[in-house]
Amino acid sequence: MCLTLIRRELLANLMTFRFLVAMVVTLSLVVANTVVLIADYERRLISYDTAVKQHYQKFLKRASTYSEVEGEILVDRPPNPLSIFNAGLDRRLGNSITASHTFVPTLWDTRSHSADNPFLNLFSSVDLVLIFQVILSLLALLFAHDAIAGEREAGTLRLTMANSVSRPIILLAKYISAMACLILPVVMSLLLALILFSVSGSISLSGDDWFRISGILFTSIIYLSVFYLIGLLISVVTRRTATALMLSMVIWSTLVLIYPSLSVFTVNRLWQTPSQLEAAYREIEQIWEAFEREQTDFLRNDSVDGEDPNFNVPPSGSYGAYQISDPITLKYFKVETRLWTRIDPDSEPQIPHVKDYFQFSEPRRIRAAEKTWQVRQKTLDHVYVRKANVAKNLMRLSPASMYDFATEAWAGTDFYGIENFITTVQQYRQTIIDYFYDKKAFSSRKWFSIDQGKVDWSDLPQFSYHRADVSTNVKHASGNIACLFLINVALFMTTFLIFVRQEV
Amino acid sequence: MIWHITKRELYDHLNSLRFAFTTVLLIGLMIVNAIGYLGEHTAQSTAYQKKVSASLDKMRSNADSLYNLLTEGPGPLYKKPCPLSFCANGGETFIPESADGVGEGLFMTSSRFSINTTWRMKYPQSNPSLWDLMPDYTNVDWGDIISIALSLVAILFTFDTISSEQERGTLRLTLSNSISRGTVLVSKFLAALITISIPFLIAVLINLFLLYTSGSVPLAASEWGQLGVIVFIAFVYVSIFLGLGLLISSRVSSSSTSLTILLLIWVVWVVLLPTTIGALTSGLQPTMTHNELAARQQSLASRFFEQYDELWRKTPSREIPATEETLLWSKYLTEDARDNEKLNEEHLDAQIAQVQFAISITRISPASSVRYAIESLAGTGFTRHVQFLEQVRRYAGEFRTFLTETDRADPESPHALGPKEGTSQKPVRFESIPKFEDRISFSEAYNAAATDILLLLLFFVVLFAGAFLSFIRVDV
Repeated sequence: MCLTLIRRELLANLMTFRFLVAMVVTLSLVVANTVVLIADYERRLISYDTAVKQHYQKFLKRASTYSEVEGEILVDRPPNPLSIFNAGLDRRLGNSITASHTFVPTLWDTRSHSADNPFLNLFSSVDLVLIFQVILSLLALLFAHDAIAGEREAGTLRLTMANSVSRPIILLAKYISAMACLILPVVMSLLLALILFSVSGSISLSGDDWFRISGILFTSIIYLSVFYLIGLLISVVTRRTATALMLSMVIWSTLVLIYPSLSVFTVNRLWQTPSQLEAAYREIEQIWEAFEREQTDFLRNDSVDGEDPNFNVPPSGSYGAYQISDPITLKYFKVETRLWTRIDPDSEPQIPHVKDYFQFSEPRRIRAAEKTWQVRQKTLDHVYVRKANVAKNLMRLSPASMYDFATEAWAGTDFYGIENFITTVQQYRQTIIDYFYDKKAFSSRKWFSIDQGKVDWSDLPQFSYHRADVSTNVKHASGNIACLFLINVALFMTTFLIFVRQEV
Repeated sequence: MIWHITKRELYDHLNSLRFAFTTVLLIGLMIVNAIGYLGEHTAQSTAYQKKVSASLDKMRSNADSLYNLLTEGPGPLYKKPCPLSFCANGGETFIPESADGVGEGLFMTSSRFSINTTWRMKYPQSNPSLWDLMPDYTNVDWGDIISIALSLVAILFTFDTISSEQERGTLRLTLSNSISRGTVLVSKFLAALITISIPFLIAVLINLFLLYTSGSVPLAASEWGQLGVIVFIAFVYVSIFLGLGLLISSRVSSSSTSLTILLLIWVVWVVLLPTTIGALTSGLQPTMTHNELAARQQSLASRFFEQYDELWRKTPSREIPATEETLLWSKYLTEDARDNEKLNEEHLDAQIAQVQFAISITRISPASSVRYAIESLAGTGFTRHVQFLEQVRRYAGEFRTFLTETDRADPESPHALGPKEGTSQKPVRFESIPKFEDRISFSEAYNAAATDILLLLLFFVVLFAGAFLSFIRVDV
């Protein structure tokens, strides 16, 4: 009996005009947008490749002593192919960052290598998830609003019940058949997108990516189910189809369009930036003052007269000592670079002192950088990340936002995906430091002078970045998926309880 | 008779669930908008004044010699904030607030002399907020409230006007009187328009009341005029969707199909199309990429290096008339500033052209048109930014002429602008230096909005005519 019902409902849904229209609209939007997004991805990939090449060549050209390496090791974040499904933060956040022993890189130090026309941010991008989020949820409600109310009005509900069909079976049959109709456009869209991927040839998907895409598919189904059940609940509760329709539209426009924007807008406008930045900036300044004091003490107490950090070696080539500081992002570090082109035989006795000096100061500089990072990370998280989290938590009251966040986590374009890149860069910085220690670079003549040849960088490990593995995606997506699932269960139970006790 | 039917429809609407929804939605959104922008303009103006005076202070300290002005330039030039930014935010976060007339600083030192480059205009690439973690969102400003919420409301009020009467058979009754179909259509349209305008106007008044009484927005006569035009535009825009609703409603016999079609059209036309088309068309007209720009800057530098290879051995001097060496330095510095500035402008022009092309294509959606019109009137958005850049370019020319003329007036200068030795070093009277002031021109605002308003009217006429024609042929 259940099967008969399902078949009837399925046919009734599939043959409707609204299904045809929604299907055509969804598929054409998906195709148009996928083409645009693939082209955009290819552009970003080219910028990435060029940037990597240019940065490495520039590094080889510029870094002739070890100390001159400062600011020259630029590493880049490749575009994420899954950003086509959910762009998230992948396009917007910076994708180029400096790795250096003088400071620990964070998200706030990134630059962008691919912003060819930043004005184009005026047109926010549409990704595949957005199309599902807006159009298919609408379709789900349109399917559901007259499922019960319509049959009640037409009197067919009474007829069905006159047979030996239990009420739960009726609900279940309606649910299953409608979901089958909703899954169809999702699956077809994904297939079309994948066909376009393979035609373009520039996008290579790994095994993990297939798992992530199925995660997106799974989340989409749960999301559409939420909206179908909302519609079904409305349909059970209301007496008239027209009322059910109006109510569905009100709820849809609020949940999908109005509420998410409203909550971000409110947080953006009313959030008072905490005043910890100043205190933290002073603390960081003190760290570096302490570092400088140590340096001057060293210069005062060594056996060479005067406090000249060049140890009275006559100038040749270049000498740099500067400080970068930014009270907004708390970027703060001090650098000393040397590129002496020749050293007079007279100055040769001074050279051991120069070596001692750098062997003393550079490890301390590394420590100061790490201390700075601890202060900085805590403060910046508190000031900037918390605001975004508050906005996100507020948005989570809408299933549409939950869906967005969950798919973002699957695609790896959420905050954690970007943070993963930053962590990799921080690890790479450690690799560079280890390399310096390995080569005894701080006490080497090549730290400051090229009179005995330039540094050979051929055995410096290259930076490589791989997206975090699937377990991370699962971890960050699971919370929202669980929420969506619970909403499903709650809605189904409510609908069921109301429907069972209702007079037909 | 029109009035009779309108009145009946009006009573119908005012008692409906959708009217309650519309009222709550519009008033709620407008209150949120007002609260969000309370004190915003005051804060923006203070920040603007502070930055401008900092920039002027810098200029004052540079005025101690003409040479300093020549190397440092006029400094950053700021865009004035507009009081009506609560009407349309215009993607302000993506548009820079200034243009910089600055020097490149010291570029060559040797034991004998040091040379500063001459100032040139630089256009900051818009601020993409590389670490903005906030989720993407639509601003809750008038533009978005009107373009999204109001159009949805218009559809909800018209999707069943014809089809439900057809279903119930009341349409036949009405038409059995001696009423022309045109009259029925017009009165239905008027009833819906009046119904929507009541909560909308109330919401607008509450919004303005909150903003005005809190003193956060100074509203002068001109602003009231602009607000009036914005409200008029909102009515035209609503009429477009009422026309669309009537058209579909008279073509389709069942109200639920009619709503489905209308909602899908609405989602695509209003929500998705403006952004998709923007992204799509911008791909058709690529600009100079980052890498290309870097390559061109590089080639410019190496061209100068070849052309002026003997320059590095020559020392400028203060002799009058200027020696050949001083003149060569002057020529080099002037050309360096001029060509680099030209490259910056070319880059900027290409970017502007790309965005303007995309903007003109997005106008196939009235939601974009209405947004652009409101932005132009509110003095925000891209059009306003382009107007600002034009003023900046005009001012850059003035400043340059001023430098040349002041130098010419100094008898102790060799009149070879560029190197320190070739330029007047006398202090300049600060008051005589032209200052940049960003002027918001209202006539330009209305001109820029006119195209969009005409386009909206055209949409309305076409859709209403369509509704009329299809209603005349309806079988009752």
